[in-house]
Amino acid sequence: MNMWQKGNPYLYVLPAVFFMIIFFFGGILQGVLQSLGVSIFHDDAQFTFKAYQELAQSIDFWQSLSLTFKIAFLSTLLSALLGMIIAFILFIISLKAYNTNRFPFLYRIFQYPLVIPHLAAGYLFLLLLMQSGWLSRISFQLGWIEEIYQFPILVNDTFGWGIILTYTWKEAPFITLMVYPVLLRVHKSWYEVARLYGSNMIKFLKNVAFPLVLPAWLSSIFIVFAFTFSAFEIPYLLGVTYPQLLPVYSFELFMHGGWEERSQSLALNIILAFITGILGIISYLLSKRWLSSERRGWE
Amino acid sequence: MGIRLKNVGWKFLMILFLILFSFPIIPLIITSFSAGWRWPEILPDQFSLRAWNYVFSPYAGTWEAIGNSIFIAITVTFVNILLCLPAANVIARMNFKGKILIEGILYAPLIIPPFITVMGIHLTFIYLGFTESLIGVMIAHIAPTLPYMLRALIISYQTIGLQWEEQASMLGAGKFNRLRFILLPHILPGIVAGSSLTILVSLSQYLITFLIGGGHVVTLPIILFPFISGGDIGIGSAYMIIFSGLALLSLWTMNTLLKRYYKARITFIG
Repeated sequence: MNMWQKGNPYLYVLPAVFFMIIFFFGGILQGVLQSLGVSIFHDDAQFTFKAYQELAQSIDFWQSLSLTFKIAFLSTLLSALLGMIIAFILFIISLKAYNTNRFPFLYRIFQYPLVIPHLAAGYLFLLLLMQSGWLSRISFQLGWIEEIYQFPILVNDTFGWGIILTYTWKEAPFITLMVYPVLLRVHKSWYEVARLYGSNMIKFLKNVAFPLVLPAWLSSIFIVFAFTFSAFEIPYLLGVTYPQLLPVYSFELFMHGGWEERSQSLALNIILAFITGILGIISYLLSKRWLSSERRGWE
Repeated sequence: MGIRLKNVGWKFLMILFLILFSFPIIPLIITSFSAGWRWPEILPDQFSLRAWNYVFSPYAGTWEAIGNSIFIAITVTFVNILLCLPAANVIARMNFKGKILIEGILYAPLIIPPFITVMGIHLTFIYLGFTESLIGVMIAHIAPTLPYMLRALIISYQTIGLQWEEQASMLGAGKFNRLRFILLPHILPGIVAGSSLTILVSLSQYLITFLIGGGHVVTLPIILFPFISGGDIGIGSAYMIIFSGLALLSLWTMNTLLKRYYKARITFIG
């Protein structure tokens, strides 16, 4: 009934979908074609898997891939743990508080790293962690180091500590943002009932609160991993010239190479799009499971 | 009493975390006001406005860059509203075949980084004359921002069932009145939230602006980049404060507008 009254839903979504298919997926498709050597702008272009073969044979690519994976993994792990801990502390405070009106203020303050642009976050950590940076100065004043070179190299370092710490600072609040609202649906009375039956806070968190937030937590972990795996700005600012992270490697190939390097850059992009796409689908499936189990739990 | 004391401990821990998270901001602010800050000094012995004077001097081009950034962000916001209003309307309130696929298409830029698509489309943009132009940069900014606008509008549309409009229509309200008194009050908060998120995300774009604009479309991140990658750290810090400030300002504006809107509604009803 409503369907006929409102008209065809496909007409309503058409402008947005049309735009996305032309300018977003169209771009990806053209990337695929160019990575295979096909281009409408080059008459002599030939279909070939050369770009992919060359990537597979290049040591630079494999080093870059393993470094990217390592940094994304460590950043995700740290921010997932820290974000979850913060969400649980906020939750415990709210459970024990007599007046629950004031604590959202704490939660709101915690969101500001989310608003700071990535380029700015990278720069903050550059000023904080570089050898002449603020931490190094504080270490000197505390007597931990005597010379500037004794401070460990934490930015533009081969391990990637600067990148990992920046991502942790930036993404932990995101995890909190995804997890905390789910925790808030656990009523205070549930905790009181649990206590009445002899449970304590740790048991309550482990058996009631944690299973409830698990799907939302996992779902946001996949999003963070996809992001830290494919974002450009922070590694561009805080990384080293070799080995580079995949997005930076792709950018350098794209900007400073000829037609052949450009094909390799686009081939690399397609691999990135494929990996992040899969991670996105996993995250969606997890959040869907959360929604359905939520309905089972609350209704 | 015992419980209260324990809670003080948790709050203390929370404040410790807050300090830890605010810590990185401090050197940024000091650096922007410092004059010749030598290494072991925790605070510089001399402060100066040198960096700020440079940033706001006429030859730095900061105002033009801020103007460009805001102009691009606002145009992108308007296009996003036009594209998303009809889409959010049906996605929020109707079930139809292929809805999940359509949502997947529209939300994809949240997970697949937009620079991938921009690099792929680059040659076509050169061919069409969209590179090194405002219009090309605006088109490139739409995909990464559209999902935020769509999400905000869908949440708003979900609060109003189709029955509301049917009811109004049965009571004799015309199309305009239905829009004015039923739909608009419900989706206005969504438009405000979606717009501020769009502006926030558009302001922060560096790579895709650089790829399409080629350095000719000068936005704030483009103008500040040379200073933060091996340039003058004082000026770099001053620029970063302005850059983050703009982002915070767009969010603060949204909060204020929404608060004022809901307050006005409550007084109206009361």
